[in-house]
Amino acid sequence: MAIPIALSVLPGVALFSIFILVPIGVLAVTSFSDWSVIGLHFVGTTNYARLIHDSIFWKAFTNTVVYAAVGIFIQIPIGIVTGMILAQRIRGWKVFRAVLFAPVVVSGAAYALIFANVYDSRYGLLNWVLHFVGIGGRDWLYNVSTALPAVAATYAFNAGFFMILVMTEVAAIPADILEAAEVDGATRLRRQRYIVLPLLRHIIGTCVLLSLLSSLAFFDIVYILTSGGPNNATLTLTVYAFQQYTADSWGYANAIGVFIVLVGFIVIVAMKKLFRIGEREL
Amino acid sequence: MIARRLVTRTMSAGAYYGFLAFVMIAALGPIVWIMVSSFKTNPQILSNGSFLPHPATAAGYRNVFTEVHLQTALVNTFIYAAGGTAGAVLAGFLAAYPTSRLTFPGRHLMTVVFSVALAVPIVGLIVPEFFIEKDLGLFDSKLGLILFYAAMFFPLSFVIQRAFLVSLPFEIEEAAMLDGAGYFKILGRVVAPLAVPGLATVAVLVFIFIWNEYFFAQLLTISFGNLNIQVTLAEFRSAFQRDTTAQLAGTTIAMLVPITAFLGLQRYVIAGLTAGSSR
Repeated sequence: MAIPIALSVLPGVALFSIFILVPIGVLAVTSFSDWSVIGLHFVGTTNYARLIHDSIFWKAFTNTVVYAAVGIFIQIPIGIVTGMILAQRIRGWKVFRAVLFAPVVVSGAAYALIFANVYDSRYGLLNWVLHFVGIGGRDWLYNVSTALPAVAATYAFNAGFFMILVMTEVAAIPADILEAAEVDGATRLRRQRYIVLPLLRHIIGTCVLLSLLSSLAFFDIVYILTSGGPNNATLTLTVYAFQQYTADSWGYANAIGVFIVLVGFIVIVAMKKLFRIGEREL
Repeated sequence: MIARRLVTRTMSAGAYYGFLAFVMIAALGPIVWIMVSSFKTNPQILSNGSFLPHPATAAGYRNVFTEVHLQTALVNTFIYAAGGTAGAVLAGFLAAYPTSRLTFPGRHLMTVVFSVALAVPIVGLIVPEFFIEKDLGLFDSKLGLILFYAAMFFPLSFVIQRAFLVSLPFEIEEAAMLDGAGYFKILGRVVAPLAVPGLATVAVLVFIFIWNEYFFAQLLTISFGNLNIQVTLAEFRSAFQRDTTAQLAGTTIAMLVPITAFLGLQRYVIAGLTAGSSR
């Protein structure tokens, strides 16, 4: 059996080693080097020392935190509420589920183009709507004070993914728990607030974890809409790492890459502990 | 008592639908606006007179194929999505089977490593991925991007299929083993047919993910003949900005493929996302 098993796992192990494992190793090692078209030589912790004092890097980091906060405090709550409503199988729930989930499968590049037009100063949908309520329009993406909220708003209402996760979790709650509460005379809203919501703790933790990881990798919409500008107002860690790569500053790009991967690990471990993901109570 | 209950029930139903309508307009309004506006002429878009096109035109859809050659990008994207999905699904199945149903040294290690890898933000690996593709002679080639996507989605494929295979009863292979059938015969004839639901779930999900992928497509391909649809869309921002109606038509086409796949195969998409994220 040993040979067939080895043959069986070989394609996966090979793909994984070549395109994920080895790159992680290369990333870690060359983050201690000065690497460009000229060549590679090791410089110790120089890149990391530069990272700590690089104000653009910290700007990218705080922007990433803002994007993550929009995910956690706007996107996820919308997902929880819509999921809890639809899980009650109100009339038309299947249609609402399909329609609210559809934006999830729209690509980041398509989102970028959609919102490039929504925010356009001449004919954009946003200025058109604001004009109706008597508010003057502006050039949302090219203004330092509005660019970051404008980019974050592109995905703030796209909560279908979290909605689906919540719906599945509600469906797993044993019916007798809810029936007992109904017999006790608890109203619909109270049952949702005091019985359903607390039971969603694990899945909310999963939502927070996935949201944080996607903020950490946030690239497409920012890069296409603003390239991180104006004046780094919308820059993310991933866009900054990519800028360093295109500037042939490969060692430094890799130090930022190591930071991204490490933060990813910290987020996973912390969220699993905080929300006890993976430990089932029901 | 009953009357009061009825009143609160109607009120909460009203609040429910009100909230759903608000979220729906906020989430879908911009998407629908783009789809509708893709049938306007450029002057109509710029003057922004009405929400609906008046009169409607398909000029954007014509231009996007004659001037921008979107068909090349569409075919490329299909090749990447089909090839990458086939690779990820097959490699995932072949690795998930022994780790879920047989015992051998290293099986726990493999399971843990692949599951952890599911969450690694591989966008941090810009420079190493570029050089590995370049050193293997795969940079800016279709095979290079297909292999990369197969590897990128292998952990997801492995995790979902493993969860599915674990849930199958163990008796299914026993009879075949007693008959003396070999490993790959059991895998192909007995296990694979039963694993189809798990396989299909992964396939639908990964196909949509690769269709929508932008970051590594723009990192690992540069010649026009190899660009995928997302990279081509991004080019619209700079190169074809004047022909707005073509831009909107291209965006609509790019969105319709995954939306149609999702609406037609909803069950698989939802099952896949729930299985992939609860681990």
